[in-house]
Amino acid sequence: MKRIYYISALILMAVSFASCLDQDPKDQLTEEEMYDNATNIYVNAVATLYNYIGGSAESEGLQGTGRGVYDYNTLTTDEVIIPVRGGDWYDGGFWTNLYLHQWTENDASLYNTWTYLYKVVMLANKSLAMIDKYDYRLTEQQKLVNNAEVRAVRAMFYFYIMDMFGRVPVVTSYDTPHTEVRQSGRSEVFRFIFEELQSVLPYLPTGKSNKEGNNYGRVTAPVAYFLLAKLALNAEAYSDDNWIDGIRPDGRNIFFEVDGNRKNAWETCIYYCNKLAESGYTLESSYAANFAVNNENSSENIFTIPMDKNLYSNQFDYFFRSIHYNHGGAYGWASENGPCATLSTVKTFGYGTAQEDTRFALNFWVGKVVVDGKDVVLDNGTTLEYMPLEVKLDLTGSPYEKTAGARMAKYEVDRTAYSDGRLPNNDIVLYRYADVLLMKSEAKTRNGEDGTSELNEVRSRAGMSGRAATLENILEERLLELVWEGWRRQDLIRFGKFHQSYDLRQRISGEENGYTTVFPIPKRTLDLNKNLTQNPGYHS
Amino acid sequence: MRNLHLIPLILFLMGSVTVGAQVQHTRELQDTLSVSGSTEVIDQKSFSKRLANNALEVLNGQAAGVNVTVNGADRMAMLNSVRVRGTTSIMGGNDPLVIIDGVTSSIAALSMIYPADIESFTILKNAAETAQYGSRGASGVIEVKTKKGTGGGFQISYDGNYGFERMSDYIEMLDAPAYVATAKRLGLEYNDGGYNTNFFKSITRTGGVQNHHLAFSGGSEASNYRASFGFMDHNTIVRSNDYQNLVAKLDVTQTAFDGRLTGNFGVFGSSQKAHDLFDVQKLFYSAAVQNPTFLDGPDAEGRWRVNSGASQINPPGLLLKEKNDAKNLIFNTHLRLTYAIIPDLKLSVFGSYSYNSNELAQFCPTWVWAQGNIYRGEFKSEDWLGNVSLNYRHMWGIHHLDASVSGESQKQTATGFWVHAKGITNNEFGYDNLGAAASRPYGGTGSSYADPSLGSFMTSITYRLYDRYSFSATVRADGSSMVGEDNKWGFFPSVSAAWDVHKERFMQSQRFISMLKLRTGYGRSGNLGGISSYITLDTGQPNGLVSAYGSPTVTMAALKNANPDLKWETRSTFNVGFDLGFWQNRLVLTAEYYYSKTTDMLYEYDVPVPPFAYDKLLANIGSMSNQGLEIGMSVTPLMKKDMELNINMNLSFQKNRLISLNGMYNGMQMSAAPVTPMGYLYGAGQKGGDNAVLYQIVGQPLGVFYLPHCKGLVDDGHGHLSYDLADLDGNGKVDLSDGGDRYIAGQATPKVTLGSNISFRYKNFDVALQVNGAFGHKIFNGTALSYNNMASFPDYNVMKGAPERNIAGQNVSDYWLESGNYVNFEYLTLGYHIPIKSPFIRSLRVSCSINNLATITGYSGLTPMINSYVVNSTLGIDDKRNYPVYRTYSLGLSIQF
Repeated sequence: MKRIYYISALILMAVSFASCLDQDPKDQLTEEEMYDNATNIYVNAVATLYNYIGGSAESEGLQGTGRGVYDYNTLTTDEVIIPVRGGDWYDGGFWTNLYLHQWTENDASLYNTWTYLYKVVMLANKSLAMIDKYDYRLTEQQKLVNNAEVRAVRAMFYFYIMDMFGRVPVVTSYDTPHTEVRQSGRSEVFRFIFEELQSVLPYLPTGKSNKEGNNYGRVTAPVAYFLLAKLALNAEAYSDDNWIDGIRPDGRNIFFEVDGNRKNAWETCIYYCNKLAESGYTLESSYAANFAVNNENSSENIFTIPMDKNLYSNQFDYFFRSIHYNHGGAYGWASENGPCATLSTVKTFGYGTAQEDTRFALNFWVGKVVVDGKDVVLDNGTTLEYMPLEVKLDLTGSPYEKTAGARMAKYEVDRTAYSDGRLPNNDIVLYRYADVLLMKSEAKTRNGEDGTSELNEVRSRAGMSGRAATLENILEERLLELVWEGWRRQDLIRFGKFHQSYDLRQRISGEENGYTTVFPIPKRTLDLNKNLTQNPGYHS
Repeated sequence: MRNLHLIPLILFLMGSVTVGAQVQHTRELQDTLSVSGSTEVIDQKSFSKRLANNALEVLNGQAAGVNVTVNGADRMAMLNSVRVRGTTSIMGGNDPLVIIDGVTSSIAALSMIYPADIESFTILKNAAETAQYGSRGASGVIEVKTKKGTGGGFQISYDGNYGFERMSDYIEMLDAPAYVATAKRLGLEYNDGGYNTNFFKSITRTGGVQNHHLAFSGGSEASNYRASFGFMDHNTIVRSNDYQNLVAKLDVTQTAFDGRLTGNFGVFGSSQKAHDLFDVQKLFYSAAVQNPTFLDGPDAEGRWRVNSGASQINPPGLLLKEKNDAKNLIFNTHLRLTYAIIPDLKLSVFGSYSYNSNELAQFCPTWVWAQGNIYRGEFKSEDWLGNVSLNYRHMWGIHHLDASVSGESQKQTATGFWVHAKGITNNEFGYDNLGAAASRPYGGTGSSYADPSLGSFMTSITYRLYDRYSFSATVRADGSSMVGEDNKWGFFPSVSAAWDVHKERFMQSQRFISMLKLRTGYGRSGNLGGISSYITLDTGQPNGLVSAYGSPTVTMAALKNANPDLKWETRSTFNVGFDLGFWQNRLVLTAEYYYSKTTDMLYEYDVPVPPFAYDKLLANIGSMSNQGLEIGMSVTPLMKKDMELNINMNLSFQKNRLISLNGMYNGMQMSAAPVTPMGYLYGAGQKGGDNAVLYQIVGQPLGVFYLPHCKGLVDDGHGHLSYDLADLDGNGKVDLSDGGDRYIAGQATPKVTLGSNISFRYKNFDVALQVNGAFGHKIFNGTALSYNNMASFPDYNVMKGAPERNIAGQNVSDYWLESGNYVNFEYLTLGYHIPIKSPFIRSLRVSCSINNLATITGYSGLTPMINSYVVNSTLGIDDKRNYPVYRTYSLGLSIQF
């Protein structure tokens, strides 16, 4: 009998064990808890997405970090180069390959960039689903504005995806089965983004996103205007479903419905540029003010990545990675001595000539560097001197191996920054009004109008004499004004120059058809989704 | 009486024969099982003679299939390196289960136990043997039995040793005159600090190690105790790297009610302090390539100089000022009550509690890190375990039956909190005053809580006929809180059989063979070692800090793709083997073949983004196999009253294969990348540019070298030679990326490992020599690749001979892939039993040892004894992180009163 007692005791234990296996996490929130009221729905469904505008890891963030959106749009152009400097910056040829357009579908960074961009899209889709699911906790108006803001963020990310990869899947629902993820033509994706932005515009907050306060860092209506203007300006490239056939649609024949009117691409661009002027944006009297340590009150910046070394983890690596070791050392930081201006950029700025553009000194360190009233010296006691004209693709063995090239000086140096200068307080400028003026000037010019006043508004702020608004001058002005701000690849493509030889770069074989104007779909992405096909020109 | 001498020998090799002789109430169930298993017991006789700082060193080389990497003094690396029959899971759970006197423990705890407290290790490898531990024992079990009171009256013993450690080898770099001369010859600008410093010498010292251990025991057969106290102090050869360990242990055994009730009570406590190196690789890398003309210390102006172009290193002396300290406190206690309801039926109740606290503190001064960097963290866990079992054992005539049922419940509560701070203005506080730091950025401060639980039921039955044929079967069910809602329980059966052929009548007539046993088994076990609590739930965690409603706000998001369908990873093992003894077991041979297959293998599969938000999904899809042959040989060629020679040897042949990482999940074909990089080179110019060398490739063993092929060296047109890489796919372009011009050039894990022990006794003298070896694997000599790269000179110093080799290049290729074969003489011990005739001293022994005597290898790097077993990013890659090779000389004293 005793045995039976014990056995039943064991069975009893069994029952109690089984219930012990449930999980109730204390340090994590369930979905129900995450969206438990209107405030938390905004915080955890909408605001949560703004964590991904900037970044602190490689390939994450629209700007500020390396091997991501910014590098693919900047280091691939005639604007900047990272020469091999002896044992430094070879890195398997990664940087050289970007400059020479020899990237491949196997590049891990390209895949990481793709997954970063689409991660935000899918998180936005999830947010939309959550806003729907818990809409009984929201007023009708709250639901509309939350939904609109999420869709605006999503459209912004689709803009970068479409710009880089061309033919991409448009996924708008969180529970889309993987079998239904298929590519759309570039023009279709382009139209989708454009119309999304247009349709959410009425519900977006109208305030300025760059200013601290309720709208800080958000995609507000002016940000959407800016994106719409950009989309329209690049409509020729974005409407081109076959970008290797040498035929590109004409912007004058690409039409949009804008506030009930039918407008061509250039008119549309001008329309949204005007919207930004109406919103109160003006040029700062000083160029440098936009990049100051405390640049939150700039009247020119439209969309920025909020930076605060004590709060946010967004990084700004470009200064750190550009300046010479001893230059960083003079601030008490480490630095990486990498990127510098290309020869063609330096020449465009008129470096060393009597006509040197005033913005050259604002954007670049050249010659001797003075920190705290003292010349920065090299290890051997001689003065550090940046040599803008000594740039070569491989500087190994050159006497200027470590000193060749003009270095980034765009942002005011924040001496209180953490992490070797990578956590400064200067907000990173993504969109600003000077670009709007140049977009308008270009759209007017392309539409057969005169864009001189906009062009020269930008030039005169810089103290430079006026020029005629020819396309050539406008492209040059975009370099002078917006150098190293992440737009160069897009600009060169729009002007048909990206796939030509320039600076130290020879056109690579087969590139004449323009296939390199769109990046390959990463091989890994293709492997995981057999519905997707590679972009033309890249074999897979 | 000859056979008496043999007992330790057999113990060492088989266990199976003699386990029966040391029957303990608590071990009855397992005793019968191990008859059909290949349990290896390492008893104290085989390790007590040597200098061992911890129990892991003792294990090294002692048993076939058990690998411990004792590389330098890197304690953490060693803790993570214990493997029984290799790697069976990608996600984790490859650490063997450590059971100390029945209490679930950890390798960290094992490393703290004083070797002199250990009676024996028992290694369980086959599923039938590990069945009693279920999922926890999926990767093998190391059972540790500690010494208990003998019941033979009061005894006291002291064991101690003292030793010192000297650097015996390091990588020779250019000294200052050669550095300057080379730079001049090449016309390169260089810095001359005017000194000639050997930085390996400046960061090292003569290390010291001492151990003291005192134990006393007493009582009677019915009631006895043993208490012990141990202290270890180890200053390694690297300045600022030292360890201290204090352990105390008490065991009490009491029987009552005419011996029907037995109670075992034990407590174990240990406190360990470690001053680890903050960044091992950076320290040794910096020591190697720092400009040798600089002073080891600040110059006249107080500056620590380093070539400003050498951005990847710091002055080595400064790196020693970084702190990385750990305090580990372990307390555990257990109570076991065994009650004989009737003589054949016993009820056993076992409960244990362990508390583990880990305090970590790191400090990086402003000299090395702008604004400094401070980290404090505390991680604590409490483990409760309860087990009730009922054992029935009956013999009638030729039959012998053993049956048991048991239930077990385990609950863990793990909590942690941590703070990162920076923005300090002076370095005086170290990590002791966080308030002096200006900034605690987002993400640097946090706390966590997890409470996984595990429940199990087991029933097992063993039947023996004629004491010759044995058959056993076990069924167990394991339930875990961590797996998906519908897959909580896994069922894991096992069967085994053994035949003691020698006991057959037809064997009795011959004298040649003294032992012959055959055994086989098959079983399944579950593993969840790679996953953590809440991984199946779609929960929200902080994902960042943004401005919302005008103020900084922490937002929440799911940080992973959740998989609610996760289930148990299952491993099936088949084994067959024999034990064969000749001439009264003067020669014993054992062999065992095993094949194990891991299915439903947990892995973070790549999933398409979109529609997934994250590119990885943890799922059960793939499979992997391990098979091997373990051979043991023990010879006693000499056995006389005054002289005895024993030679033990074990050889393991092992083959691992990643069978598949493909399959369907919810109608979706999922796979891993065909080639997945696992290990990269670090250092100047190597940051993330086609510099992966070690890969995980389906169809291959885990961890293979997948490299470009170097055809030789060619003139690079700038006066140097460079690596001439082959265009393997013949497309006219050398593509060094993952899918490009690379081929599988070898595996990182040894195909064969050898452990061998030779002991010789002459009168009161004894000599023991341990020799270990590993064969059939490759090592990527990334250290040589970096230190020969003239392109980084003179920012970074180069090896002696590099200017002559004249290579400027840093591409990885098979040029620096070398055979890793080695034979290492682990230690040599000479001991002397002083024949004292005293009423108080029962035994007195003095000994001296040399550890790490010599290595025979064709490998050109510093040492081939790098991580060749543990599948992680350092596997098989010698990349500037090796401790200089050192040798330990020690004296030991052992007294028993």
